[in-house]
Amino acid sequence: MKLNQLFWAAALVTVSFACSDSGDEKPLGKYDNGILIMNEGNFGTNDGEVYHLNPTTEELLPNIFEAENLRPFAGLLEDMILEGDRLYLVANTGKVEIVNPADFKSLGAVASELDQPRSLAVNGTKLFISDYGPYDDNYGTPDSYVAVVNGLDGGVVSKKIEVSNKPEALFSYGNYIIVAGSEENKIEIIDAAQETVVTTLDLEASPKQFHAEGNVLWVYSITSDDVVFYTVNLNSLTLGNTYTIPLADATSRIAFDGDDEMYVLTSTGWPDYNDAVINIDIEGSNATATELMTGSGFYGIGYDHNSDQIYVANSNGFQGNGTVTVLSETGSVVRSFEVGRGPSGFLVY
Amino acid sequence: MFLLVWAFSFVASSPIQDTVKLAEVEVYAPALDRFAQGQKVISWTKKDLENYQGRSLGDLLQEQSPVFVRQYGAGMIASPSFRGTSAGHTAVFWNGLPINSPSLGQSDLSILPVTAIDQISLQFGNAGALFGNEAIGGSVHLSTSTDFGKGFQAGISQQFGSFGLFNTSAFAGFSSKNFSSKIKVYREFSKNNFPYNDLGQIGTPEVKEDHAQFEQIGIVQDLVWNLNANNQVKTAFWWNKTNREVQPVMGSNTNDEQEDQAFRAAIDFFHFEEKSVWNLKTGFVKNEQLFNASQNNSTQYFLAGDWDQKISDKWTSKLGARYTLTKGDLSTYQADDERIELYQSTKFSATDNFSFALNLRQLVYSGTFAPFTPNLGMDWKFWNTNTQALQLKTSLGKGFKVPTLNDRFWNPGGNPDLLPEESLSGEIGLTWNKKGNLNWTQSLTYYKMSVDNWIIWLPKGSVWTPENIKKVSNQGLEYQGSLDGAIGTWNWELTTSYTYSKAVTTKGTDENDQSVGKQLPYTPQHQANAKVQIKKSGFTSFIATNFVGERSVTADNPRLMPSFQLFNFGLGYDQLTVGKLQVPLSFQINNMLDTDYQVLYLRAMPGRSYQFNLSILL
Repeated sequence: MKLNQLFWAAALVTVSFACSDSGDEKPLGKYDNGILIMNEGNFGTNDGEVYHLNPTTEELLPNIFEAENLRPFAGLLEDMILEGDRLYLVANTGKVEIVNPADFKSLGAVASELDQPRSLAVNGTKLFISDYGPYDDNYGTPDSYVAVVNGLDGGVVSKKIEVSNKPEALFSYGNYIIVAGSEENKIEIIDAAQETVVTTLDLEASPKQFHAEGNVLWVYSITSDDVVFYTVNLNSLTLGNTYTIPLADATSRIAFDGDDEMYVLTSTGWPDYNDAVINIDIEGSNATATELMTGSGFYGIGYDHNSDQIYVANSNGFQGNGTVTVLSETGSVVRSFEVGRGPSGFLVY
Repeated sequence: MFLLVWAFSFVASSPIQDTVKLAEVEVYAPALDRFAQGQKVISWTKKDLENYQGRSLGDLLQEQSPVFVRQYGAGMIASPSFRGTSAGHTAVFWNGLPINSPSLGQSDLSILPVTAIDQISLQFGNAGALFGNEAIGGSVHLSTSTDFGKGFQAGISQQFGSFGLFNTSAFAGFSSKNFSSKIKVYREFSKNNFPYNDLGQIGTPEVKEDHAQFEQIGIVQDLVWNLNANNQVKTAFWWNKTNREVQPVMGSNTNDEQEDQAFRAAIDFFHFEEKSVWNLKTGFVKNEQLFNASQNNSTQYFLAGDWDQKISDKWTSKLGARYTLTKGDLSTYQADDERIELYQSTKFSATDNFSFALNLRQLVYSGTFAPFTPNLGMDWKFWNTNTQALQLKTSLGKGFKVPTLNDRFWNPGGNPDLLPEESLSGEIGLTWNKKGNLNWTQSLTYYKMSVDNWIIWLPKGSVWTPENIKKVSNQGLEYQGSLDGAIGTWNWELTTSYTYSKAVTTKGTDENDQSVGKQLPYTPQHQANAKVQIKKSGFTSFIATNFVGERSVTADNPRLMPSFQLFNFGLGYDQLTVGKLQVPLSFQINNMLDTDYQVLYLRAMPGRSYQFNLSILL
């Protein structure tokens, strides 16, 4: 999943731009350390929720949004974006809830005008939210957009910037918002001040996630047969190198260990539905893919850089709660435990 | 007014009476419980249904029966759960034709308006042998009727109430000694703009539902004609069309719309002989559903015949066959299915108080044999005085569910290799009946059943596909009681029921499945209802309540929905006349205490509502 990587991206942004609130001395909140487990919830039930795990004590706190706010999350949780003192919970059922990551108390929301939001990025005092837009009669999404909200605590959508179909991850850099246009294989770059698309880069694969290292933005992209990493030079906003790794059936779920290694979920889908956790190691221009674990129902992946452990989420068919299995870097099972419904990603603090 | 009627022994008087007499004065309807010895049956007559005019079958079952109804909102999908089974384990019949959607394998009770129906019976437990496919948890039998010799009758009825409720219906009928015809048209409308607390928003503000409008129109036509003393033709036709805005789950802002249209026709030919009745039956059921732009249609054609004969004073038997051709034209596939089933029932009445029935059925679908389903039942009235009786009912049988068209053919994901679900169940019940100044019926039933090869849809990558995977075991207790008497010139009646249902998964999807040993989702362990009614010279008043216990959202039970109890109140007067016209009036308050509740997670339900009913009858 994109969370771990977005955490690094967020950390990078925070470091790069030295946000004004980064130096505050505050007591640690209940949820300030540990791993947040994102549970998407079941379609039609809107029972998405967040669990908090203390990886040292293995203490697991369920449904922390409802516990702290005394109301259900009431949505399908698509993404969690940490930006400084705010955690953005993006529900693809049409809202973004904003909480304080320390205590999970509600700070605000973007409650209307959204259709199927996917992810979020912060630029200055604006929120940019990628959204599939409404379905048409054939379940296509020809009206996808990136919504703009003025105010870090949410509010109303002030503008919808039309982008290619099915935008996924967003990345904020300088004055730009970089959009992963997943259906039409495009990278679109939005000028955050003008709120218009200023550059479009065409790719050969479907971009899913971003991962920044220095001035280079890595774009994780897939085709049915390959995983393709593109690099984007953040200064010139042009495409750089392309790394193609023959790996069939990769999904959008990826976790980065921050050291040129990453973990990808693959799924052959229907009718054989064999899922796997694959380790990809890029050394120079060489890339190797190693299978760490196989199974069925894998739905999310994360990487805990403190313990060098891999977290694999299993949806258990959405029939009830999911399961998380913790793996060592070599793929041996450390332990597993039950989490919420449809676990789909992890945010490691 | 409403009576929870136990199926009493029909042993003493054979329903097949002197044929000539029967054909002339009555519209013949084969008794539901003629061979249902040992099984629990509850019925509502036309009179009992008066309080539910303008409401749906789902409302009736939720408020007045042990069935749990999974309601997705006001006027939204409502699916029945008998004895802890799922909606697909309930067979639904209209005038003897199975009307469950062949693609979904179930019926939406919210679009079966009580207005269009004259009689309702519920049968509990496995009855694969008697009623065939999908009669695992129970079956619902709807019928329309007309009378002979009533001349010209007509009436119009109007209801209006909270949240934009505006229902209109009218009927006209004519009957002579040998001919009877009745037509009814209706329109039911509700804006459903009820207020509720939106749990999906900060501060859970009270908002008005703005996407749950419901409109339904329909025509019901019945005709019966005695060709001569030995032959009767009966036809029934029902067209019903519903347009709904689909109420979103809290936290979602969907704008889905759904149109459901059903054409149903049944034609019966009865031939009466000295000791037997021949029935030739044909009909069709056509379902058309448009969900947003997705069209799903199916048509079923039926041809059936049976021969019901009284062999001797002690032996009765029925032999029949039915052929069904289903044509499915769905958004992702087209498929046909042919079914042939043979059934045989035998009843042995040792004495007036002691009878057995053995029912057998074999169904073949698309060349595949469904499980053979036998059923054995017994009624034994072992204590019988002038005023009191105790009766023991017990039965043991099997049931089955053929995989639905969607299960087999949905593209992608449909699994043509699915096996039919198979169930085994037994029950034993005791009924105590007393007549006198104070009348009562008290009954207690224990049941136990298991369903094997339970089909569930699981995600496989991005595609969902059904598998025969679960095994479920159910057992429970059902109590029904009714008590009536008089205080001075006031008649009163109290009806109560309580159900305990334990339905647990005994075999799960895989080793990760946390549901094993736990209660099935949305299956309350405790459910109860009660109603008190008083009557005096045309004046009626009732207060009714129903309680639904805690139920879980998922099979592994981490999240429980709170229990709730609702109260309804009604007042009516049916002896007002204006000239030759009868003008019955009534008034109802539903959810009197304005209880905030959800049946299913995050599906808002309406608070207190008022309803006025006015009819003019000729």
